[in-house]
Amino acid sequence: MLNQAIAKLQAWFPADAVHAHCDGPCGVYDPSSARVAAEAVLSMTKKLVDLELPAAGDKAATVAYNNTFSRYTAIKEEQAQITKDELLILWTDYFKPVHLDQFPDLHDTFWKAAKLCSACKVEVSVQHATELMEAVQKIHGMFWATKSRDVSWYTAS
Amino acid sequence: MCLGTPLARLDLRLAASSPLSQPPSLLRNSHFTDVVLWLLRQRRRWRVVGESMVPLLQHGVEVLIDPAAYRQCRPQPGDLVVAYHPRQPDLPIVKWVVYVEAEGCFLKGLNESASTDSREYGLVPFTHILGQVVCRFP
Repeated sequence: MLNQAIAKLQAWFPADAVHAHCDGPCGVYDPSSARVAAEAVLSMTKKLVDLELPAAGDKAATVAYNNTFSRYTAIKEEQAQITKDELLILWTDYFKPVHLDQFPDLHDTFWKAAKLCSACKVEVSVQHATELMEAVQKIHGMFWATKSRDVSWYTAS
Repeated sequence: MCLGTPLARLDLRLAASSPLSQPPSLLRNSHFTDVVLWLLRQRRRWRVVGESMVPLLQHGVEVLIDPAAYRQCRPQPGDLVVAYHPRQPDLPIVKWVVYVEAEGCFLKGLNESASTDSREYGLVPFTHILGQVVCRFP
């Protein structure tokens, strides 16, 4: 009887949440995950641009070409989305209003970087893929500056 | 994530730990008295969100804490506590006390792989401790 009354009360008046997880408060962020994905986007874009067309009438070469083209495109698409996801996590979860004082262009930087991720999906553009890498590098610099740490930029490829 | 120093201290502490510093394995259900104390505002309800205190506290369960539990004494190893996150002062967290030092408590989750705790952010000051978890609710 008492428990039923309490259960109703709990439904009507939810208690405040006390956190028992690591997603919100873990504080483990690193722009390198966005960098690795963005590097893959640039690499796949370059490979797509450099892909040689098969000779006309060569069925086997055409099949191989289509297969390779599709794979490169799929990876580019996937990695561009991963880049966007990683950037949005940094933007919305790591960076706080106080960082805007340090970097007034923070929102604009992330917004443009996210737009570049979309452009890299829609197009096969080495220019936009290169600009995406530059945007990630800029975010890398901002991120580590907020932690007062000097972490040099590097790429895996 | 800098784990070195807090983990090293934890290892030292665990090596010399008493049986009381074992993680809590039981939490009783509320009694009529607890409900009365809650109605008298001597207990506070909290709803657990997340998996870091599994298996003792499942996501979604409610607990009652005693906000006055540590007015006269300090938390003891093995206590379940609700505290404010030391780096995000508006974020309440639920953990267990592994050991207590002059500057604060070393808090940890029961489900270590899904918990961020003093292994990362070090000791939690006593002023951040909101109270002791005394029972489930209901």
